[in-house]
Amino acid sequence: MTNLHIRWGGVCIVAIVLIVLTYDHYRDNLASLAPQQVRQEAPKGDIRVLGMVQGGTLETRGAGEATFALLGEHASLPVHYEGPPPDNLRELKILVLIGTWNVGAQVFEARDIGIVPNYGFIAGAYLLGLLPLALLLFAMTRRVHFLYDEIKASKLYEEE
Amino acid sequence: MTSFSVIRWIVWKDFVTELRSRETISSMVFFALIVILIFSFSFSMDQQAAREVIAGIMWVAFAFTGIIGLGKSFSTELQNDCLEALQMVPEAKGAIYLGKVAANFAFMFVVEILLFPMFVILFNLEVVEEISLLLLVFFLATVGLSAIGTLFSALTVQIRAREVMLPILLLPLVVPVMIAAVEATKGALNGDPPAMYEQWLELLAIYDVVFTVVSFWMFEFVMDS
Amino acid sequence: MTIHRVIRKVQRFEGWFGGSAVLCLIAGLYLGLIGSPPDYYQGEVVRIMYIHVPLAHTALLAYIVLTIGSLWYLWKRDPIVDNMCQAVAGLSAVFTALALGTGMIWGKPTWDTWWTWDARLTSFTVLLLILIGYLMLRTFVDDPEKEARYGAILAIVGFVDLPIIHFSVEWWRTLHQPQSISMRGVSISSGLLVPLLFMSVGMSLLFSYMLMVRTQLLYLDRLLHAKKGRLLSQFHLSKSDS
Repeated sequence: MTNLHIRWGGVCIVAIVLIVLTYDHYRDNLASLAPQQVRQEAPKGDIRVLGMVQGGTLETRGAGEATFALLGEHASLPVHYEGPPPDNLRELKILVLIGTWNVGAQVFEARDIGIVPNYGFIAGAYLLGLLPLALLLFAMTRRVHFLYDEIKASKLYEEE
Repeated sequence: MTSFSVIRWIVWKDFVTELRSRETISSMVFFALIVILIFSFSFSMDQQAAREVIAGIMWVAFAFTGIIGLGKSFSTELQNDCLEALQMVPEAKGAIYLGKVAANFAFMFVVEILLFPMFVILFNLEVVEEISLLLLVFFLATVGLSAIGTLFSALTVQIRAREVMLPILLLPLVVPVMIAAVEATKGALNGDPPAMYEQWLELLAIYDVVFTVVSFWMFEFVMDS
Repeated sequence: MTIHRVIRKVQRFEGWFGGSAVLCLIAGLYLGLIGSPPDYYQGEVVRIMYIHVPLAHTALLAYIVLTIGSLWYLWKRDPIVDNMCQAVAGLSAVFTALALGTGMIWGKPTWDTWWTWDARLTSFTVLLLILIGYLMLRTFVDDPEKEARYGAILAIVGFVDLPIIHFSVEWWRTLHQPQSISMRGVSISSGLLVPLLFMSVGMSLLFSYMLMVRTQLLYLDRLLHAKKGRLLSQFHLSKSDS
């Protein structure tokens, strides 16, 4: 174990810790249900549903209420949202809704409306940004060590 | 010899060589004709479509022919060690640069003037009123191309793969000239009021001044031996 | 020579640069990925900014360093400065390419296209082409002194050209494309600024550290080469004498 390996081992451990922390932070946001799953399984509690606002169904009543249908691949859900409608709430827009499924009334009570998170793009950008730099730096430091050893071994080095 | 007479002698020398060999201008003109031919095959155009793309085709042809001329400008000096002789000129090296710029500018401008009627005939353009403005655009853009091109011609002449390296180094640096020349030429050909493309002429003028000064200064270091 | 002494002094603190770069980047990554709220318009995608913008800043910083080094070389003709220039050009090309790549990844979810002839993207592409031309030029010259001189000239001319390229592309773009694709919504609020600052500082420190390592690498490479050559010629000389 040289100094070099210890240092880079530390960097790797820190990187793994960061990745685990980030994954943990976003794990709840990664999974979302499709409308047909909600209809079939009728899950209880807070759920996330992903779908598109069906064209021609969006109705806003005043500033604090909106109803629309959320369209999935095979089914759609009637949605009732209370609160000021966000800018992202437009027809034909793909959204993620957070709220509860009211089995009795067959209505999804949305509490929060967000746009689809693109974690793939974020992870791709960070990997593309940092991984080549780390690999390049590792290759360069290793080469410097190798050159030092080479100069020492071939007895080429002399004080000038 | 004063610096001015160095400039004069270099221009005179290049002109005489060109008159005797007729190498540079003839190869530039024929290359440009082939480029025009290829372009007219690749885009089938009516007169309306021609007006949209002709400025771009024109400047692509001019830039490539210009690079041929610029490449020859210093590579001919390699014969009989003329380059070393030039390096030994006691006057400021900038005088050699200005002489070469003047000669390169003259060759490129002559080729452009010869080719322009070809474009007019082959692509059915109508140019009567805008001819003086077009000449101004040609003049400014050619000064810019030859100012920076002469520097890189001198820089690439003594390296390996110089025919490849000249366009690779030169073309990214002349992006502003190409954009401005194409836009201004398009404006003039469409008969737009000059106020609409004035800014491109100003950009060309600024580029010319900046790069004549910078290249003049850098040429000292190229010829340094 | 004074520059040697300065470089040697700075090299002694090499480890500090590397260490503080890692600390800054860890803090920046933590704040950017976990600690900061998502943007109102862009949502979570705004987090790409924390990696893209520092990379782009550092690429420009690297080009400025390259220009200063090139001017210094033409003035003093110091080979170690030329080693630095060669190292910084390679790194600058890497940072520019990565900035372009992350920019493209950012463009896909926000503008729904991988590539647009945006003024900044286009001028960064031209910058990348100039840097690749610089690196190619250096491999095609045999004499090391000439190689350094020609490289320095190209770097300086390119530096003067960059603002002109940027303005011409910007004017050209406003003529040909509607302004609908824009950086709307990325007004830098203080919540976004703190992680961005950490990442920018960390990236600059990382760049300085990489620059030191690479300069050292090129220097050692040349040293080994020269010494091997000298030994070889001594060997041949002694043979021809006997």
